[in-house]
Amino acid sequence: MSTAVSVRGLRMSYGAAEVLRGVDLEIRRGEIFTLLGPNGAGKTTTIEILEGFRKRSAGEVSVLGTDPGKATDAWRAKLGIVLQNWRDHARWGVRELIVHLSGFYDDPHDPGELLAAVGLDEQAGQQVGRLSGGQRRRLDVALGIVGRPELLFLDEPTTGFDPEARNDFHRLLARLAADDGMTVLLTTHDLVEAEKLAHRTAILSGGRIAVCGTPAELAQAVQAPSQVRWLEDGREQVMTTPDPSQAAWELHRRFGGPVPGLEIRRPSLEESYLGLIGRNV
Amino acid sequence: MNARALRIGMKRGWTEHNHLLRTRKELLGTLIGTVGVFAALTLWMGDSTVEETGVPTITFMMVGFLAFTVFGTALMTFPMALVTDREEGTLLRLRTIPGGIPAYLAGRAVTALCQIAVQSVLIVAAGVLLGGAPLPHDWFTLAWVLLLGTVATVPLGAAIGCVLPSRNAVGVATLPLMALMFTSGVFIPVTLMPEVLQWTAQAFPLYWQGLGLRAAFLPDTMLAAEIGGSWRLPYVAAALAAWTVAGMLLAPPLIRRVTRRESGSRLAARQLAAQRS
Repeated sequence: MSTAVSVRGLRMSYGAAEVLRGVDLEIRRGEIFTLLGPNGAGKTTTIEILEGFRKRSAGEVSVLGTDPGKATDAWRAKLGIVLQNWRDHARWGVRELIVHLSGFYDDPHDPGELLAAVGLDEQAGQQVGRLSGGQRRRLDVALGIVGRPELLFLDEPTTGFDPEARNDFHRLLARLAADDGMTVLLTTHDLVEAEKLAHRTAILSGGRIAVCGTPAELAQAVQAPSQVRWLEDGREQVMTTPDPSQAAWELHRRFGGPVPGLEIRRPSLEESYLGLIGRNV
Repeated sequence: MNARALRIGMKRGWTEHNHLLRTRKELLGTLIGTVGVFAALTLWMGDSTVEETGVPTITFMMVGFLAFTVFGTALMTFPMALVTDREEGTLLRLRTIPGGIPAYLAGRAVTALCQIAVQSVLIVAAGVLLGGAPLPHDWFTLAWVLLLGTVATVPLGAAIGCVLPSRNAVGVATLPLMALMFTSGVFIPVTLMPEVLQWTAQAFPLYWQGLGLRAAFLPDTMLAAEIGGSWRLPYVAAALAAWTVAGMLLAPPLIRRVTRRESGSRLAARQLAAQRS
């Protein structure tokens, strides 16, 4: 089975408010997939439905071949979940907690190796409540993967991180995913993070998936217009076009040769993204 | 409930109990809050006796503290722990783990039992060593009343913990329990109460637990202070058993409801609300 998550026509309403209006998603095994969108786009609702924590209003959902609405322990054992706001088990020792939670799984990671992998060996004997924010999040990841999950959910994992901690975290995640062949589904509202980490990204906007694909595909799909600049009559000319290559070709023909000061600026992914969510809001 | 979850849960309860023993604030709260107050009372009361019986007042008080320890741990400390676990995300963490919720509940129950056991031993030790109270003359009754009293109240505590919306609400929930403490005959003989209060007291498990424990510690000369002039042990067993059944019926659906509703966004919303207030 090469599909880890399959979602068709997923709808979710809270009372009269419709948060998800027909989400379609297909996540392949072994890929790092980000669900990107502005705050309030329905990312957390989507991920909570996939985790089996929330009942959907309508649609077909299959996570590792199971409907999360009918979660069993055997299915749960194949998932790892890392949430944003955990402050639990503050009195436990770091290692003590990892050992305790590893006991629930058939083939868990070795606690010592796991501590080393997330860079917490020095904190092994420390109380969980005394960890810094970044250390705490790394512990959450360790606890999320202790049972060797096939699919790891990360909900906004780097919110509140400084750039250095964020970089370290990205490297850790990429390494873990590569080593274990784990599928990772990550939500973020940070485009740079999605671009850096993900094999593929889906942009959730207005309760639907607006675009889905690799970063390059994404940029192309949203097709924010490019700018073409050149010098003519001693002045800079600017033209905005969805097809800059065609425009450049026409300019070359008109000039009958090189175009002075020719410059083509394709929009960055960020610009495209902002354009996209602006368009849908 | 699978065997692995139960085993891990019991170990979890033991670990959490040890964490409590290592936490100074908790330890002082327990020791000074119950055992310390009782020890001070012991010294203050000295050799006074209950009128016309020759029974040291301190023996009567010791039994009262014992009954209240079980009651308070099961119905105040335990629900408080459940609410805290919900607010900090412990419950949600266990929800993400296969078998996590049964293990969590087993763990919490074990921690409550350990707390009750430690405090009971300390109270009896303080009463006997400092106040010269006698050891129970009926160990068997002591054992089953303590056990049944615990089993009757811990599920109720779980139910209370599930319906309390936040830690702030725990204080409000404590008030009726305090009222029960004064009317249930554990510190003031129930026959001194107006008849309405006597009937009210008999509707709750604290009265029956106190009565059973008094039967184990006090001589029959004290029976004059009891309703009907009897220890009424069969009624004690029946009342506590009835509360056990009620708790067992009430708690599981409430626990299921609370754990089912737990999710990351709820946790986030609660923490946001807590920051604002």
